[in-house]
Amino acid sequence: MGRTPRWMSWPAPATPLVGPGMPVANGPRMPVPSPQLNAFALAAAGTAFGIWVLVVTAPDRYADSTSTLFSGAVGGLYLGAGLLARLRRPGNVVGALMLLVGIGWFAEDLQISTDPRVHTVGLFLRSASTGFLIPLLLVFPYGRLRSREDHGPVAALADRILLATGCTVAFVLQPVAVFFHDSVTDNLLLVHYVPWLRQLTDAIQLVVSAAVVAVLLWRWAGASRPYRRELGPLLAVGLVGGLASGLDAALGADREWSHTPLLTATHLSVLCLPLAFLAGVWRIRLGRTAVAELLRRLPLDSRRELRDELARTLDDASLQLGFPAPDGDGYVDVDGRALTAGPGQWTSVLERDGRRVGVLVHDPALREDRYVLEAVVSAAALELDNQALVAELRASRRRVIEAGDEQRREVERNLHDGAQQRFINLGLQLRIARRRLDRAASGAELAGLLDGALAMLEQGHAELRVAARGIHPVVLSEAGLAQALRSLTADLPLPVDLHVDKLPQLPEPVELTAYYVVKEAISNVLKHADARTVRVELHHSDGVLNLSVTDDGVGGADPASGGTGLLGLRHRVSAYDGRLTVRSRPGEGTVVAVTLPTRERATTKEGGLV
Amino acid sequence: MTAGMESRATGRRALRIVLADDDPVYLLGLATILEDEGHEITARAEEAYGLRTAVAGTLPDLAVIDIRMPPTQTLEGLRAAVEIRGAHPGVGILLLSKDMELTHLRQLLEAGSAAATGGIGYQLKSRVTGADFVTEVVDEVGAGRYAIDGEIQRALYRTPRRRDRLAALTDQQLKVLELMARGLSNSALAAKLSISKRTVEDHVNTVFDKLDLRPEAKEMYDRRVRAVLMYLASDD
Repeated sequence: MGRTPRWMSWPAPATPLVGPGMPVANGPRMPVPSPQLNAFALAAAGTAFGIWVLVVTAPDRYADSTSTLFSGAVGGLYLGAGLLARLRRPGNVVGALMLLVGIGWFAEDLQISTDPRVHTVGLFLRSASTGFLIPLLLVFPYGRLRSREDHGPVAALADRILLATGCTVAFVLQPVAVFFHDSVTDNLLLVHYVPWLRQLTDAIQLVVSAAVVAVLLWRWAGASRPYRRELGPLLAVGLVGGLASGLDAALGADREWSHTPLLTATHLSVLCLPLAFLAGVWRIRLGRTAVAELLRRLPLDSRRELRDELARTLDDASLQLGFPAPDGDGYVDVDGRALTAGPGQWTSVLERDGRRVGVLVHDPALREDRYVLEAVVSAAALELDNQALVAELRASRRRVIEAGDEQRREVERNLHDGAQQRFINLGLQLRIARRRLDRAASGAELAGLLDGALAMLEQGHAELRVAARGIHPVVLSEAGLAQALRSLTADLPLPVDLHVDKLPQLPEPVELTAYYVVKEAISNVLKHADARTVRVELHHSDGVLNLSVTDDGVGGADPASGGTGLLGLRHRVSAYDGRLTVRSRPGEGTVVAVTLPTRERATTKEGGLV
Repeated sequence: MTAGMESRATGRRALRIVLADDDPVYLLGLATILEDEGHEITARAEEAYGLRTAVAGTLPDLAVIDIRMPPTQTLEGLRAAVEIRGAHPGVGILLLSKDMELTHLRQLLEAGSAAATGGIGYQLKSRVTGADFVTEVVDEVGAGRYAIDGEIQRALYRTPRRRDRLAALTDQQLKVLELMARGLSNSALAAKLSISKRTVEDHVNTVFDKLDLRPEAKEMYDRRVRAVLMYLASDD
């Protein structure tokens, strides 16, 4: 105990799953206090008892028969397999019941004794192993009867009635009947001989046995693959054993009580029952290899592939993989549809570092092998987390590239429509002047043309400077962010109110990002805002650069599109773990605000943000 | 074709021209230059719709059109030019652009019907400041001929396959090919290269042979330029 389980399972409601508020019913079962010790004690006691019984009854068995060996083998197998099961699944009552079947088995053998006292005690216990076997069959493999919630009231009631009846017949009816029938050896407690009573109790036992078989068949018919896999061997053995013992009981009292073929069949199936259980254990080991296989195939390309691999590993075709819905409400499946658990399905949460990365909706049978399911859940959580990280990384890489492309387009536009056009116009102006000179135009006209040309030249230069700054602001690396912003805002046709608190030396990408945000925001103001003033503020505290560009213009900019330039910058800002917000109500101006962490995220020593 | 009056100053035919560009300063400068040469600007448009109206309204000899125009700043001008070519085949089209895109030229060539008599020009915008812009470009297109920017020679070597074919040509044949693509006639070619008209014809024949161009096209000026331009604008 002690450590908190990393996983939980509970039956999923048949409605779409909801997120954090999901009820956690039927959480991990609390283990019985030191069940291992109890199991060892019980197995040891059973073994001692078995040996004693075999010794006591040995003289009374047929000399040439293998009865002693057979009895010992069956009882011993139950004790051994029961102990194994108990150790492997301490929370499961199956192991304990198997131990009890083993002990009951030896107890039944007491009636072989010809010592009337021992024989009489044996008569009382003549159905002891059946009395434990019926509950064992009913609760295998989960250690529980079927529940009302998972399987409906009929199944739950049927299990309970069969359990009660089976135990009553074996431990009450049969012992009580001892007082009313005789036996091959003296029945010391015979009170009054009632000839039909033994037939009656045997008939009742037959009905109960048949009912148990029917229930097992019923379960098999409605079972999922993993459950069938576990139930298969048991069912086969149970079927044979149940039929044999039932027939045995039906054929009644007229036959010898040992060495009939039916009894042998019963005993053989009883002998096989612990082996069938061991087979179940063996299958679970196969499941573990499958987990190793699954781990080897990771990482996978898609969530769908992961679902398919998990379904294959756990041999549960109905398995579903759920992810937190994009809107934060509930879970969606691999196709993005709201996740709905089928009836009777259970849910395990996939967690990584305390975050829920998804849920696994699966057959309840899988929950029984806790280790396999736990391993699969861990692997699935790891894989999902990994896939999410890779997707995020790809998206952010793409965003950064797109932002770069957008910036190049911007520069191209500036060069094309700005400087280049200016120089073409300049050329035109000079061409005109030249023509006029040919035609001996007046000095004043020529001077006017040349002045115009000079103005265009100057304008073209200014625009070239702007475009070049768009490619990379040299002043930024030379004189720092504050100076770069000062020179950016100095020669604009709009007064810019620049407030820069004393900034520490910032990593270059942070400075560049801040610079571009201010540049783009101001250029948007110039283009769209119809503003009278712009205020730019920067201050740095606690490793975060806060930046805002506020104008008193018309507002109403769409923050989502808000100028494709801003969109590119938003990606750039988020690439550095920052946040860009645009508040722009109509008539209230626009505020573009950015927070940018300026420290390295982790405590890595080398390699700054650069 | 609309009959123009002879300009007294130059002895050349005066053209009636519609100008379209979204930069007013440029528009004014261009108009000044053209008017200085004796041409008449019948209308100026700053966007594509105004251009179409102006052409339909004044039926000029020539429309000088900037490819990029409002409202989308993409290919508004080209689309308008293609429409004008369809609606008024006699109107010469001079496209001005900041870059040379052969697919644009091809669209314009394909828009013209067989009956089209208007010339086609495709020039870089900066070319308008050249001393010979009016005489070698505007007048040529106005006269129903082709005037393609020298930039076209870059298209000669656009694909490896084409480079292989061109390797078979001599330098002078290459020059002939380029000048054909720019829209020069045989006599203009001869003058430009200072060779006889007869030699020019030989070169033209060789070029057509080696490039697998349709030989019947080489006899007529219009078909010849189209054949060469379509060859250069093709993607092989």
